[in-house]
Amino acid sequence: MSADLNFARLRSAGAASLRTRAGVPPTVLVSFLVVLVVVLWSLFPSLFTGYSPVNGDTGSKLDAPSLQHWFGTDYLGRDQYARVVYGTASSVTSALVAVAIGLLVGSAIGLASGFRGGWLDSTLGRLVDMLLAIPGFLLAVVIVSSLGFQTINAAIATGVSAVAVFARLMRAEVIRVRRSAFVEASYLEGGNRLQALLTHVLPNAYRSVLVLAVLQFGTSILVIASLAFLGYGDPPPSSDWGLLVASGKTYVTAPWLVYAPALVIVATVLSINRISRWLRNSK
Amino acid sequence: MTSGYGRFALARAGQAAVVVLLAYVLTFLVISVLPGDAITNSLRDPQSGLSEADIQRIVQYYGLDQPVLVQLALSLGRFLTGELGFSLQSNLPVAQIVGDALPSTLTLASTALAIAVVFAIGIAYGAHYAPPRWAGVLRSIPSFFLSVPNFVIGLVLIELFAFRLHAFTTTDPNSATATLFAAVTLAIPVSAPLAEVLIASLDHESRQEYALVARSRGLAETQLFARHLVKPSALPSVAMVALIMGELLGGSVITETIFGRDGIGTVVQKAVTGEDQPVLQAVVSLSAVVFVAVNLAADLLTPLLDPRVNVREEANA
Repeated sequence: MSADLNFARLRSAGAASLRTRAGVPPTVLVSFLVVLVVVLWSLFPSLFTGYSPVNGDTGSKLDAPSLQHWFGTDYLGRDQYARVVYGTASSVTSALVAVAIGLLVGSAIGLASGFRGGWLDSTLGRLVDMLLAIPGFLLAVVIVSSLGFQTINAAIATGVSAVAVFARLMRAEVIRVRRSAFVEASYLEGGNRLQALLTHVLPNAYRSVLVLAVLQFGTSILVIASLAFLGYGDPPPSSDWGLLVASGKTYVTAPWLVYAPALVIVATVLSINRISRWLRNSK
Repeated sequence: MTSGYGRFALARAGQAAVVVLLAYVLTFLVISVLPGDAITNSLRDPQSGLSEADIQRIVQYYGLDQPVLVQLALSLGRFLTGELGFSLQSNLPVAQIVGDALPSTLTLASTALAIAVVFAIGIAYGAHYAPPRWAGVLRSIPSFFLSVPNFVIGLVLIELFAFRLHAFTTTDPNSATATLFAAVTLAIPVSAPLAEVLIASLDHESRQEYALVARSRGLAETQLFARHLVKPSALPSVAMVALIMGELLGGSVITETIFGRDGIGTVVQKAVTGEDQPVLQAVVSLSAVVFVAVNLAADLLTPLLDPRVNVREEANA
């Protein structure tokens, strides 16, 4: 047994764990690729398709997917691929807005209540409980119905319904870090609360909040697509992914009108979830 | 122990009551303050078919000619005595509208819950005991389930089973088969977090010393699972019951729309399009009541099921 442990074997003893830490799994690479394509679609849609998302060729209505029309055409002869590509900007940007709202407001609440503690913590805690008490999707529906049916309002509604999740996590993280020795040491060195917060607590607490933000980005795409599906986003001729699925479902003979945008949604969210899981496990 | 638990239960119940009240106020403010004057807009809409006397009566009832805070107090007071008001669209009592829609949604949600639990246990058991190759696939299923929007699942099921295989028809959404497929639609996103928690706690429990002892005494894995691992692994999912209720309620809006069922989800959708504030207010705050009550029950049950949970610590949390 001990004879086997020569120098070469000992030297490579940690190699397996090194490899897993250094290399990026292939599924994660594919996921990054999908997200990159989606980002490019939303930034430069005209580079990816020559067709207009608004004007169709009435001569080719409800055509099946082909080399000319990758995702087929809809009831006005519009290229479905072009509609998906041009709908990316609002579908993805609105999810980013939603995450930004949840992240900023939620983190601020969580930071304040975790760092300050006491009455502020219990007051903010009840507020967070209040937000959690209303089912997320229902809360989003109520807010968007109140603000008006637009994609940006759907984004705001989705963001507000995500505030509580961020606040909870941030509070837990801050409490975990606040009690550690290096934070107490910074007080001993004469640092004040704000300094400790900015230089020690935040940098150590933000990591898992960031992982949640990535996960929440995927969830927000789903929620906003669901709101658009119900008709609570921008009206046609805009082409949010959820709206495309909703308007496609009328044409039973042209199932690709539903499947193409649906697949794009699933691929995007799946990739984002995979990246989030990879970030969580590799920290 | 008893007095400690009593104090803990009382504190939790108090918190729960506060949260319900806050949720009601939040909903009221979101619905009535933000859009300006939607309630009178929909009343004044000539298509509403309300006479001037009707409008006067409704304005009087909700105190619409008074400041928002007075309206809130009026509405909250009625809510606390169990009065939910009248629909602005149909003039029917809100309690009746909700009561009529409830059985359909309850059937759907409870079927979905049962399916979700079966899915979750199946996935978790497989992820734990299947050969490594399959276990890996099973472990990634929850993440896949979480990436597919509810409405896509519903549309695919309808396309496959109603239009191609003729297992059910969309014109009869309340038939047993149609209900089953609607429930599957609702169950898939719900089963994902449940399966994740089950997998995690199953992994955790099977590494505990008592599991090792049982194994070293020659207990087979299946017996170990059934006799020792199921109960402690299920505990964390009890805490998730409230979350799952929320998912079921939120998901029912989409699912009922797609399958054409009449339930709470459809009521919500109609109330949103018709700017029917009293109905929206009632449904949202009632679901908050259900959520908080289920959460409270789960909180109060956990220390009874698992003696390791320290009540005193919990009460301060």
